[in-house]
Amino acid sequence: MSTPEPQENGEGLLESLVRQARDLSAAMPGALSRVTVSAGDHRVEVEWQAGAVATVAPLAPGAVATAVVAAFPAYEPEKPGGHAVVAPLVGTFYRSAEPGSAPFVNEGDIVEVGQELAIVEAMKIMNRVEADRAGRIVKIVPTDGEMVEYGQELIYIDPLDPE
Amino acid sequence: MVEKVLIANRGEIALRVARACRELGIPCVAVYSTADADSAVVRFADEAVQIGPPAAARSYLHIPSIIGAALKTGADAIHPGYGFLSEDPYFAEICGEHDITFIGPPAAVMEKMGNKASARLAMKEAGLPLLPGTIEPVATADEAQYVADDIGYPVIIKAAAGGGGRGMTVVNRREDLRRAYQMTRAQAQAVFKDSAVYIERYLRTARHTEIQIVCDSHGDGIHLGERDCSVQRRHQKLIEEAPSIHLTPELRAAMGSAAVKGALSVGYTGAGTMEFLLDEDGRYWFMEMNTRIQVEHPVSEMITGIDLIKEQIRVAQGRPLTHSQDEVKLSGHAIECRINAEDPERDFAPAAGRLEEFAPPGGPWTRVDSHCRPGWMVSPFYDSLIAKLIVWAPDRGEALDRMARALSEFRVSGPGMRTTIGFHQRVFAHPVFRSGDFYTDFIDRHMAG
Repeated sequence: MSTPEPQENGEGLLESLVRQARDLSAAMPGALSRVTVSAGDHRVEVEWQAGAVATVAPLAPGAVATAVVAAFPAYEPEKPGGHAVVAPLVGTFYRSAEPGSAPFVNEGDIVEVGQELAIVEAMKIMNRVEADRAGRIVKIVPTDGEMVEYGQELIYIDPLDPE
Repeated sequence: MVEKVLIANRGEIALRVARACRELGIPCVAVYSTADADSAVVRFADEAVQIGPPAAARSYLHIPSIIGAALKTGADAIHPGYGFLSEDPYFAEICGEHDITFIGPPAAVMEKMGNKASARLAMKEAGLPLLPGTIEPVATADEAQYVADDIGYPVIIKAAAGGGGRGMTVVNRREDLRRAYQMTRAQAQAVFKDSAVYIERYLRTARHTEIQIVCDSHGDGIHLGERDCSVQRRHQKLIEEAPSIHLTPELRAAMGSAAVKGALSVGYTGAGTMEFLLDEDGRYWFMEMNTRIQVEHPVSEMITGIDLIKEQIRVAQGRPLTHSQDEVKLSGHAIECRINAEDPERDFAPAAGRLEEFAPPGGPWTRVDSHCRPGWMVSPFYDSLIAKLIVWAPDRGEALDRMARALSEFRVSGPGMRTTIGFHQRVFAHPVFRSGDFYTDFIDRHMAG
């Protein structure tokens, strides 16, 4: 899987890859289990339930973006890919230990299992949010100080370890 | 004040509260565990917040998550329903610390009345009649023996912190007393984290008669008559009716005013229930108070026309009661059956599962309070109440016939699903039940086997 880097003008490339993936999956017989569109090293991966992978040649070098679309490719640009770390309880989401201090993590950081990513505070009790997968932070969803609910997706990790 | 209500509960009562809010024009917020993500109240409420996993300790009983949900949605009041946190004075206090109105009595009053021993003391001081027994908790087995011998057998040992029919042991013979005392204390410690127990005389032939009261924050209180809840199994109510055919208007007025007087004497506000035992000779004794809305509140609503949930909310807003005692008119007869997902053939063991068919009855004066629908999963995590069936009629005889008719219409089925519907049908066909001449031992005496 590709490693995301600071994004420049990958929007058009990604959309073109998604279109390609959509065309490809429509043309293929049988049930799809996974479609992966990468724009870093320009891949379109289509997976069948048997596990076979068809790799299609890259389009052009350039910008970086990743989209993973399960089953049929209903493309949702708002939904980042990767593993979601969810809120352990209802409370206020904080990115740093105290106001003004450096955030625990930023998008693009590599994190280890057990590493503190954020805090959810409920009634003055600080609850650690830890990484349960190792990988690169691709998206931090809530803003600092936002109220979150139980099970809400907080941080997306692009896993480095195999599932 | 009270501009948005968070409902800290689930099931039929959460929906009941949400309906009252809607009729009052007050936005309401549902909270739910992952097991209830598609529940009726989540669909109905203006907003919903997921508060935790199915286990109640991490969702419906988890105070930080519920307070967090109120802060997240800007709810300025919390209705606790019944069960869960509804009788937790600590929760009421925490609400206050967050400037959230707890829809119920003040925390200190709840604490005093929620403990059976301190409630007995307070009501004795208010002049209410108590059964012979101890006021202070009984500290040793020797003391228990002395007290029980003095009262005379049978006696009942009750956990001071107990409730919901748990933590009670009836002792018929002197030689069983010590063992029962130790057992009840251990059980009370395990279940309620408080081993204190007290002892009172046990009435074998008594009727469970409770008075519904509402008090406002201006020092006024009214009663909405009584409910007879004598059909119980293992101290859990199954059928409730109002009015009781065993009360004369004079006795009703006396019990009602005693209940109101007792509640006002401790500064009670909101809706509450004073439970009494009524003996064959029409004498009554205070047993305990429930400082919350009760499962069986609809029967009182049906005979008075007063919406108790709306009344709770209005009182929490600081408004005066909508009715004076003279304006409370009891009319006709109402009965409620609790339809539980339980197997009466297997000692009412809970029978969770998916409802394939759920077709409640309808027709004149037939009310169903339920959160269920076809396809709904009756979760093993929560209590087994799936519907409350309530009927009203001009008199008891017609109400019995109406309930029997409504029960015969009620269709509930699904894999492994069992309900109390058939059991209720047998009760409504029983001549002793129909005569009204029964006591709290009705099920053991007449329905066993």
